[in-house]
Amino acid sequence: MQASHAVSVLLDDDLLAFNRAIGVVRRRNLPVQGITVGPSGQAGVLRLAFFMQADDANAMRLLRQLEKAHGVHSVTVTPVSSPSLTHPSEAVL
Amino acid sequence: MSEVLTGAQILCRELVAAGVDVIFGYPGGAIMPFYHALPEYPGLRHVLVRHEQAAAHAADGYARASGRVGVCVATSGPGATNLVTGLATAHMDSSPVLAITGQVGRPMIGRDAFQETDVIGLTLPITKYNHLVQDISELAAIVREAVAIARDGRPGPVLIDVPKDVQNQKAAYTPPEGKAAAPAPVPPLAQGVDEAARLIAEAERPLLMIGHGVILSGAYAEVRALAEKTGIPVITTLLGISAFPESHPLHLGMPGMHGEVHVNRAIQHADLIVGIGLRFDDRVTGNLAAFAPRAKIVHVELDRAEVGKNVPVAVGIVGDARQITQRLVEAVRPRTCEAWVAEIRGFVRPRAEAFSGDLSPEAILASIYEATGGSCTIVTDVGQHQMWVAKHYPYQRPNTHITSGGLGTMGFAVPAAMGVHLARPGELVWAISGDGGFQMNMAEIATMVQEGLSVKMAIFNNGYLGMVRQWQQFFHEKRYSCTPIWSPDYVKLAEAYGIAGWRVENRGQLDDVVRRANATPGPALVEFVIAQEANVYPMIPPGGSLSEPIEAQPAATPAR
Repeated sequence: MQASHAVSVLLDDDLLAFNRAIGVVRRRNLPVQGITVGPSGQAGVLRLAFFMQADDANAMRLLRQLEKAHGVHSVTVTPVSSPSLTHPSEAVL
Repeated sequence: MSEVLTGAQILCRELVAAGVDVIFGYPGGAIMPFYHALPEYPGLRHVLVRHEQAAAHAADGYARASGRVGVCVATSGPGATNLVTGLATAHMDSSPVLAITGQVGRPMIGRDAFQETDVIGLTLPITKYNHLVQDISELAAIVREAVAIARDGRPGPVLIDVPKDVQNQKAAYTPPEGKAAAPAPVPPLAQGVDEAARLIAEAERPLLMIGHGVILSGAYAEVRALAEKTGIPVITTLLGISAFPESHPLHLGMPGMHGEVHVNRAIQHADLIVGIGLRFDDRVTGNLAAFAPRAKIVHVELDRAEVGKNVPVAVGIVGDARQITQRLVEAVRPRTCEAWVAEIRGFVRPRAEAFSGDLSPEAILASIYEATGGSCTIVTDVGQHQMWVAKHYPYQRPNTHITSGGLGTMGFAVPAAMGVHLARPGELVWAISGDGGFQMNMAEIATMVQEGLSVKMAIFNNGYLGMVRQWQQFFHEKRYSCTPIWSPDYVKLAEAYGIAGWRVENRGQLDDVVRRANATPGPALVEFVIAQEANVYPMIPPGGSLSEPIEAQPAATPAR
């Protein structure tokens, strides 16, 4: 998969918020890889990050839908410019 | 001042505090503590349905008719899973429904206990919010949050799963102060109103296309004022029907798959479409690539995720439909669209429906309209009858057309009409179904009898799952695979339930029976025997462009 966008989601550090966010991505059947979950540096806030193959319009639709999910604080979608990136967080941090 | 209550009592107290007065539900093992507490709260009327799906639809109907949160209750396992179709229906149509489910006790969760189901996992994609209550100390706050989420912004269903031991647990409870909190303020008006006004001033062929958001925000007067100040003709989507009076000279009709030819042609010729409170779904647009090829689109929508989701927009304005439409009314200059309206009149074709026999769906709907003076609320199921109602019933009053639009849920009408009746007890409510959809939830007649719910039920009986049969006729070589459907004797069925029932087979019987049904106290049932192969025309083939309507029975075509 040639990733086109890196997605970073800051969300509540609980399983329901995580499930909702992942469900939004899964439902759209977009190819993703490099899913990582980890602390964001803020207490009670998790960072979910992944690469995605999608055109800009689909990437923007996903961003809008993720923003609606209860428990999601913010979403960043960044075009992947460097093929050497190995981790989605590198594109958005 | 706090007092010690059980979790079940706290649930009831919070529902009362939220202004809930009706609950649709069905008891069972894991929700029994709630039902034990319920008689202590006479302000919470419980309606015992015959299937939990009906509880969700009834809560949905109540919510749509009242503008308040509708509540349904079920036990764990099968009770909870039976709610799923109703919650998905409410989710697709932005209806504020609160579902409360019992769950097995916390020590048993995850051990495949009797009637244990992961209802949180099941309903994650079809609710705005759901929560498994882990501790009684969080119960009251979760109920308040869930009610607020269901109601605020773009409305939708929420679910609270309450383990049985939490319902039985006791804890100190402090009631909320004063009345329930008012809905959260809508986001401030975004940019775009002035740009939209400029586009309206420049357009030669503008259209207003209004959807469910107009009804949800109550923007009736504002939309009418905008149409009348600018002379722009108005199109109402399926869920936007009754948001604009159909007798108004600027009203055009419904667009899309079964929209009138002149409406779809107007869309294809328009140079500006101002969409208010709709999401441009595929049943409206047909082939997206060919939708409104000449038009710039202004999209007014509460949900930012909907703007640009399906159609590219020239101007997107995010916010409450009523507030933004009012701003538009103030921003636009008076104008007329007489030449454009005349051009659209030239698109009008004679109705293509060729009903055999004299008991046409159109005649039935005209009879119901005349007998009620247009005052009743019509709740429809899904299929051919739904389209006939949408096209032929001349709605005048706001929010008097209620149907399952997005999910297209057969079996919706009868239970949803129960909710509508309880939200509007002084008004006539007709539930109109086909013979297929009616049989999905006809057990709810017993609920109506037991609870004294005055719903008039119309069955358009053509002996087929009519819309599927129509598709088989048009697109599947007329192979009527599994669509002929047998019905019981509906008059005897009505008799068995102890309600009035009639069968109407010709035009001569029609008006008298409709009048008698309206005059009968309590529920009543009327079967209308219509032509077996009556079709809904025109029809845009699935995936086709709005410019390619089928206006008469086509030659058989290969299956698609």
